Amino acid sequence: MPDVLPREKTTPSDGLVGSDGSAPPRPARRPLPTVPLLCLLGIALLAALTAAVSRGSTPIPPQEVWAVVWRRTTGEPPRPGTEDLIVWQLRLPRALLAALVGAGLGLVGTAAQALVRNPLADPYFLGVSQGASLGAVAALVLGLGAGGGLGLGLSGAAFAGALATFLLVWAIARRGGGFAPLRLVLAGVAVGQFLSGFTSYLVLRSGDEQQTHGVLFWLMGSLGGATWPLLAAPTLAVPAVWLLLQARARRLNALLMGDESAAGLGIDVVRLRRELFTATSLLTGVLVAVSGAIGFVALMVPHVCRLVVGGDHRRLLPVAAVFGALLLVVVDLVCRTAMDTRELPVGVVTSLLGAPTLLYLLDRRQGSAR
Amino acid sequence: MRLDIEDLHVAYAGRTVVAGAHLLAAPGEITGLVGPNGSGKSTVLRTVYRHLRPVAGRVLLDGTDLRELSPARSARRVAALPQERGGDFELTVREVVVMGRIPYKRAFAGDDAVDRDIVAGALADVGMTGHADRRFAELSGGERQRVLLARAFVQRPDLLVLDEPTNHLDVRHQVELLALLRGRGRTTLVSLHDLNAAASVCDRLHVLHEGRVVASGHPREVLRPALLAEVFGVRAAVLAHPLTGDPLIAFDHHRPADDPDGGAEGDGNDGSGRGTDGTGEDEGEGEGEGEGDGGGVGEGESEGDGASAAEGPARPAATGSAVR
Repeated sequence: MPDVLPREKTTPSDGLVGSDGSAPPRPARRPLPTVPLLCLLGIALLAALTAAVSRGSTPIPPQEVWAVVWRRTTGEPPRPGTEDLIVWQLRLPRALLAALVGAGLGLVGTAAQALVRNPLADPYFLGVSQGASLGAVAALVLGLGAGGGLGLGLSGAAFAGALATFLLVWAIARRGGGFAPLRLVLAGVAVGQFLSGFTSYLVLRSGDEQQTHGVLFWLMGSLGGATWPLLAAPTLAVPAVWLLLQARARRLNALLMGDESAAGLGIDVVRLRRELFTATSLLTGVLVAVSGAIGFVALMVPHVCRLVVGGDHRRLLPVAAVFGALLLVVVDLVCRTAMDTRELPVGVVTSLLGAPTLLYLLDRRQGSAR
Repeated sequence: MRLDIEDLHVAYAGRTVVAGAHLLAAPGEITGLVGPNGSGKSTVLRTVYRHLRPVAGRVLLDGTDLRELSPARSARRVAALPQERGGDFELTVREVVVMGRIPYKRAFAGDDAVDRDIVAGALADVGMTGHADRRFAELSGGERQRVLLARAFVQRPDLLVLDEPTNHLDVRHQVELLALLRGRGRTTLVSLHDLNAAASVCDRLHVLHEGRVVASGHPREVLRPALLAEVFGVRAAVLAHPLTGDPLIAFDHHRPADDPDGGAEGDGNDGSGRGTDGTGEDEGEGEGEGEGDGGGVGEGESEGDGASAAEGPARPAATGSAVR
């Protein structure tokens, strides 16, 4: 034992608590319990899905919606008629696509923010979505999209575009040394704009009569193309990536504290980053291939969820997934029903919600930097 | 646990920062790393907690090469308190401290009663029990360091590595934090900017200069005017602290060691001769001393320092037990 002198015997006890002068202990802030919250969110999601299928130019009563779904899923012969067609072929795939894409964006945003340790990270701001769009459009122009029946060719190309862009933006941002949050976002916005321009050019050049629609789809996002086969890739990718992230939830927490902290906790940071880059790019690629580049959802969802359940990824990841699903189902419902004659692009509403969120976050960061 | 670093070479950002460092942290002792900025202190520590990989040389924990252990396994033996500040992500104090259990947990495993007990114990050890549910980001600097120390305790390490833990803390919090390290019997390797703090806290010091260990041993043997001039470029007298008997370094804040007006020979030694003992005769020895040895100098040299202990207010026992 080292020398134990009287002056060293002072144990850190009461004298230390609250001894930082200015700050008396603030009231404890306990996050809401997660399981009940998830149940509530799940019920809300079911309700929102029902509403999304029921509402529209031809309203269908909720019980009829469930009746159609029941008949279809139990294998009873569907009752012929427009209701079956509207529910099963048009609105349900779209509502489910909204839920899957929303869940995926919630996960991607949460993971990306931990990965680059930047609360402003969002695949849309980082240019990753635009990279995925360019990959997908390039594949279409080169005729690869028609390949896999499940859109695997398209998803693969979008994944490649997303990953390449993510790594490029990351490399640019790190060139200055260290972590400069705004540098990362500025690099992402610049790269994203460049890639958007290129995407527009490719779409307009292709001579497709649906060009303008195509540009809007790839750059603003849309859930209008939903069909059952389109759901296959996100149905596989969203749960797979969620599991992958959930298994790394503790390590994501540690990553927030810094690379050195994480290394000291026995985490192979290089490998973890590589896995996270791949997982987030993969999911972004899949989502963009089916819904285009939808902005702000991946930014907003994790922040809203952190306010409610705190920053621990073990709770944050599932809550962000379910809340993202709920949010996008509701947003898409609003887009479809806000105007009588036509639809709003989904990106319009997410921007209206998301841009103020971004400004709020910038303001708050400024505040905490002082 | 005993830590031996043998002939360590580390490059960082394309530059060789540590070039052939040898050092030792003996079981149960607090071993300090001191040296000017850029001398390689942090780099050595980062290699020990495996943030950086050595280009050459070995880091041995009780004779086992660190590289033979998986990252998780070595994190159960070595815990770190690095110098970085995390981002603001709404994590609570408890959530930060429970990270110390990461090396012990499988994927998907939740926190069980054992984890909660260990976390509660560590929070109590650092006096932060009442703050468990506060946001980590809203703590003061001193509180943060205590929380990160609790996280390191939760790892149940044999070796604790701290990189300038008292930086940016006011004096009271420095004293409190260093008090938490002492008297625990845990092997500790700590880099310190403040030489006086190092002199009073550490059982053994290694002085780093340009990526090499240039002196090793008990603070009293290492911190001598000649070495301070050579390594830190300052004129200083080494006195005995009137309250504790520890070495007290009084810097000349008027001019650096190589100031031509300083008349370095005459003045410098006058100053040091007054307050301390046995420093006059080994001018220039500081560098040679550390070069070849792994830090063995500190052992059994307490007699030589009897005079300085007598200078302090009657604490011969203190000095005797500090150097075993």
